Amino acid sequence: MANEKKQTGGSLLFNVMQQHGVEHVFGYPGGAIMPIYDALYDSDIQHFLCRHEQGAAFAAVGYARASGKVGVCLATSGPGATNLITGLADALADSIPVVAITGQVATSAMGSDAFQEIDIFGLSLACTKHSFQVTDVNDLPKVLHKAFAIALEGRQGPVLVDIPKDIQLAEITHSLEDFSKLKNMVKLPPANVGSAIALLNKAKQPILYVGGGVGMANAIDELRAFIDVTSIPSVSTLKGLGAVNPDDENYLGMLGMHGTKAANIAVQECDLLIAVGARFDDRVTGKLNEFAPHAKVIHFDIDTAEINKRRTVDAAILGDLKINLPALAIPLSIVDWQQKCRKMKKDFAWDYNHPGETIFAPAVLKEISDKMPKNTCVTTDVGQHQMWAAQHMLFDDPSNFLTSGGMGTMGFGIPAAVGAQVSRPTDCIIAVTGDGSFMMNVQELSTIKRFQLPVKIVLIDNAKLGMVRQWQDLFFNGRLSETDLSDNPDFVMLATAFEIKAKQITHKDQVSAAIEEMLDHDGPYLLQVKIDAKDNVWPLVPPNTANDKMMEST
Amino acid sequence: MKSYQLTIKVDDKQVVLERILQVTRYRGFLINGINAEVNTGTNIGTIELMVRSERPIELLVDQINKLIDIKEVKVDNNTTT
Repeated sequence: MANEKKQTGGSLLFNVMQQHGVEHVFGYPGGAIMPIYDALYDSDIQHFLCRHEQGAAFAAVGYARASGKVGVCLATSGPGATNLITGLADALADSIPVVAITGQVATSAMGSDAFQEIDIFGLSLACTKHSFQVTDVNDLPKVLHKAFAIALEGRQGPVLVDIPKDIQLAEITHSLEDFSKLKNMVKLPPANVGSAIALLNKAKQPILYVGGGVGMANAIDELRAFIDVTSIPSVSTLKGLGAVNPDDENYLGMLGMHGTKAANIAVQECDLLIAVGARFDDRVTGKLNEFAPHAKVIHFDIDTAEINKRRTVDAAILGDLKINLPALAIPLSIVDWQQKCRKMKKDFAWDYNHPGETIFAPAVLKEISDKMPKNTCVTTDVGQHQMWAAQHMLFDDPSNFLTSGGMGTMGFGIPAAVGAQVSRPTDCIIAVTGDGSFMMNVQELSTIKRFQLPVKIVLIDNAKLGMVRQWQDLFFNGRLSETDLSDNPDFVMLATAFEIKAKQITHKDQVSAAIEEMLDHDGPYLLQVKIDAKDNVWPLVPPNTANDKMMEST
Repeated sequence: MKSYQLTIKVDDKQVVLERILQVTRYRGFLINGINAEVNTGTNIGTIELMVRSERPIELLVDQINKLIDIKEVKVDNNTTT
């Protein structure tokens, strides 16, 4: 064939990636992946060297979530591969399309406990959607095409391809046009539309429970059209934030453990709960058998295994939300319920009054949210600052709020911001982090420096592992075991060492000017916000408690 | 505790058996017995898996069905022990 040419496995890898539209990859070289890095030298694909494989994996996740494209990361065998695992687990828990390429020792050495050999294929079983190990270079093109297809089809997720060194070096004659999209392999039972319509018509107090699946299905428009037609009050999961228009008067905010009082009470009182791309996670439901106790349930999802997994449903609507949401959009007569929900929203609105001179993190995050440019993408780490960001910042698209939901992975925020900034070079990217999480992937400041990424870092610093400290105070008799971080480094000096402009603020009257200075700065910037270590995240639904029995203060 | 027998048809791929066993354990099912063989003509494997659990068998069937190399999962019996 005319387009057939001889190439190495390593070179084929990048050519196939380009066929799938890959422009940027994140990685870290090493012995068993050297032939791939040698092929990269001649490739048009741009590689971003991170300073730890975990950083590369999270950068790929951030890239995928900010852009809707597949994120790609590369690592060598052994420790390089094992360092990817946390990122793959994170991508699996949040259904993020990532393709991870690992080098492996040569096939002749496999199974001999060779230098830097680990069975990453075996390790991948519990932390990927699917994985491959290539032992014949002639299988490589098909495997790579499949890897990209599987990452994106149905419920998205991470796919790992382990490529031994001799396969990377082996020559293959292959036509690059030999690429047909795999047919959709996901077979789904028919949607139960009739029952769902009957439930909708009967409902007097319905609630729309919006999850991350809406953004993943690219069904924001369909969701908002559904809300327009039905005028249904809605709540969102952490990963769903941004799907509902935040200005919708019937939108009650996030539900669950740190959800708004209005959202949690409305869900507990509803008679019909419509879950859309959500999976009844334990952080959402609180005590499961007391969650939405009076509600019939309609569940929209792409994954059959989520139906009846934690909550028995009355109507399952499996399939593409872009098709299924319009099928159920009918006007509802629920004026009394809407008024009740709107009244709760008003009565239980956030209160930003905070006595004293110390800085109140929720007010800082609200002010940043009000002042940040349109299409700003915010990443977070995990802990108190994450919940405050979810509560007090507003997003108009889920791709503008990247947070580790299912896995709750500290160390996510900075590398995810790297990936987001690479995918959206002209948008403002803000990483909201805490002093515990920040140190977990602090080496990625070097990546920010190397590529002069203008990421803004807001470091909410209480010199504590704040969320664990909060739980120790509330549920472990104030026994503060291993949560003090008062010996943190000087973060301003640390950022400066990476040529990142930095500033510390400690008083309320410094907040507004500091936010403006950060947002006006051209390059990367770190704003260290010192807060009172005793500040807690409220409301809080205690463990194994119904969501309407939330604590609102100590 | 209920016992079930599953018959699973698979593509004869590396680690497909490991994947099924990993999902079975993770989702809370204990294994009573297993038979596996491959038809070398069609490259289709048949795995008979005897499991027991307090959990509904549909939870496991749905999860095994999600594995990429699975062609079919059938529950052959349903006995209480």
